[in-house]
Amino acid sequence: MAQVPVQTIHRDPQLFYWILFPITIVMILTGVLRHYATVLMASAPKKLDQKTMREQRGLLHGINVRGNYHALSKASFIARRDALITAFESGAYLKDPDNRGQPPPNPMSDPNAMEGMMGMMKNQMAMIIPNTLIMSWINAFFSGYVIMKLPFPLTIKFKSMLQAGVATKDMDPRWMSSISWYFLCIFGLQSVFNFILGSDNAANQMAQQMTQMGPQAGQMFGPGVDPNKQFLAEAENLAVIEHHSVLDGVEQRLLEGIKV
Amino acid sequence: MSSERELEISPIVQESLMQNSRTLSNLQSLTASLFGVSAGILGLESYSGFLFYIVFSLLTAVLFYVLRVAPTSIASGKAPLDTSRYFRGPYEFWAGGVMNGFAGFVLTWTLFYGLVRA
Repeated sequence: MAQVPVQTIHRDPQLFYWILFPITIVMILTGVLRHYATVLMASAPKKLDQKTMREQRGLLHGINVRGNYHALSKASFIARRDALITAFESGAYLKDPDNRGQPPPNPMSDPNAMEGMMGMMKNQMAMIIPNTLIMSWINAFFSGYVIMKLPFPLTIKFKSMLQAGVATKDMDPRWMSSISWYFLCIFGLQSVFNFILGSDNAANQMAQQMTQMGPQAGQMFGPGVDPNKQFLAEAENLAVIEHHSVLDGVEQRLLEGIKV
Repeated sequence: MSSERELEISPIVQESLMQNSRTLSNLQSLTASLFGVSAGILGLESYSGFLFYIVFSLLTAVLFYVLRVAPTSIASGKAPLDTSRYFRGPYEFWAGGVMNGFAGFVLTWTLFYGLVRA
């Protein structure tokens, strides 16, 4: 089999200074900017009124008792369980006890829910706008240049993606244009942002999308959830717990531990 | 039931576990970028580059284990190479580095390969 000659393309070294470095620097600075924009735009958590707070904390109290019952002695667990179940079932912690049994209000009409959605919209915009701007900037200024060679071979399928704007049929797909350097930067700059901004930064949109796909902790008290039903379910959960304490048989364990 | 009881007797603190994982992933992305720099300067291509990356990130994991995890982990009675004292699963510790840092590695590898060779 004949050896395929390696393609070499002579490029002006100035390409690095005028294309590669500007794109990289702009990408890094945009990430920093996006991080600080997200920090600045983050609205402070809203102050809840006393009734709402009591409702949420009452439910959390039930959940915590259910999760940590083994740390309580039997008598104190039973006392807590009985008190909580009575309170939950009578609706003592509800924000407005008159609304029991009625369907929850439409979440769209609730102003609090609208605010949450606005926050999400703001975050989305902070991601979309800079990306669109940078992509059109790169397309307008730098399209049609071949700037770099990837150090690993790719199949011909990647050609249309990597060499957008370079209409050369026989060129090896390893050569990449400026727009593909932009894509590489999107995916790979997270580690750079980790050093500049600390590990929980908001600079990279890829990482943000990952976290959005994860389970959302704030859903529990979200709009459209009937707190009365949550209380009833929690009362049922508490009622079925079969209590055992972590201190059961502790003398035995201690004696085993200090065997000589 | 027995493992559940053990967890209740000596509970695992989620916050500490998360702090450990974050430290580990910071280390992994830092070293992945540096491996990319060295692979690019050495001028490695295709398979040898990826092999370089995999070998060195496994080496990082081993060094991390030997220097940071092993002294207290073995002293507390865990088997060698068992990271369950500090981390969630063996997969996260040993192979997580290869996954986490890959994009950073490709970026710096391409950049330095382009700067040095082309």
